[in-house]
Amino acid sequence: MSPLVIRRRAADARRETELAEYEKVSDQIKITQRDLEQDGFSKNPFFHGIIAEVPEHLKSKDGHPKIGYSLYFCTYSSWKGRAVYMEDLYVRPEFRGKGIGKALMAKVAQLGLAAGCTQLNFTVLDWNKSSLDFYLKQGCWDVTSDLGYHCMRCEGDALQHLAQGDL
Amino acid sequence: FILRKAEPKDVSDILRLIKELAKFEEMEEQVVLTEKELLEDGFGDHPFYHCVVAEVPKENQSIEGYTVIGFAMYYFTYDPWIGKLLYLEDFYVMKDFRGYGIGSEILRTLSETAVKTRCSGMHFIVAEWNTSSIEFYKRRGASDLSREEGWRLYEIDKINLLKMSSK
Repeated sequence: MSPLVIRRRAADARRETELAEYEKVSDQIKITQRDLEQDGFSKNPFFHGIIAEVPEHLKSKDGHPKIGYSLYFCTYSSWKGRAVYMEDLYVRPEFRGKGIGKALMAKVAQLGLAAGCTQLNFTVLDWNKSSLDFYLKQGCWDVTSDLGYHCMRCEGDALQHLAQGDL
Repeated sequence: FILRKAEPKDVSDILRLIKELAKFEEMEEQVVLTEKELLEDGFGDHPFYHCVVAEVPKENQSIEGYTVIGFAMYYFTYDPWIGKLLYLEDFYVMKDFRGYGIGSEILRTLSETAVKTRCSGMHFIVAEWNTSSIEFYKRRGASDLSREEGWRLYEIDKINLLKMSSK
């Protein structure tokens, strides 16, 4: 296959929709292309993105050369310091099995290491066996299983009540 | 007690409290972060984290003579479906100072920050054996994403990051 180009470019809201459909939760997307542009490309971005792009003659059936992406940002571990969090990793179905996902993740790892990060964290759904297998092959380990840490969230009304001091 | 934004002079108290919390989680030997890194990473041009500390007057200091007796470390993350989030990395009040509403006030302040900065939610992790903390959070409307939606937290450490980025 022709050389794959991985570039840091404007996030594509359409890709987000595809990933959400894959994870079966597309009705939960509230963000718009405008939000992504504002939050990712201002002076202090809230996230960074990299895109996998193929040459024109290899583009997808529906005419798009951008066929995969990863969205990540820096976080902080109170035990180890700078860390990178990979929020999204996605490759369009017809382009899988060619090492693109691995290349995207390797790029995030490189960028993270260059920024002084010592770990890369992300979450995976427990039914997503093919992704779980892929990640375990890259040398990842399951923090939830091994150490019993659960991901918790406080949002919407609960967040508002918490802010007002209601109990 | 007062709650205030952490200042550079607070880094040794912050590290002390990080280690106390890690000890409670039986992970004390995992803390490799230094005061120098905390200073660079929290008080430079692009901070990787934010911190609030709880301080008591000198006459109420701890047995060992500390006036900074609680803290919370947080940063902003990004969910491509709903936008900005506040991520609570560490949250701890020294044992002798619990039961006075300090923890509640810290959490209330943080959720106020989340609402003011247009965050859609506050995320954090809790160890599944830590039932008193889980109850504390559930009373405030937090939901367990690992249990309810099947999200598992994964990590890749530095050795494997280096392997991955050199492929």
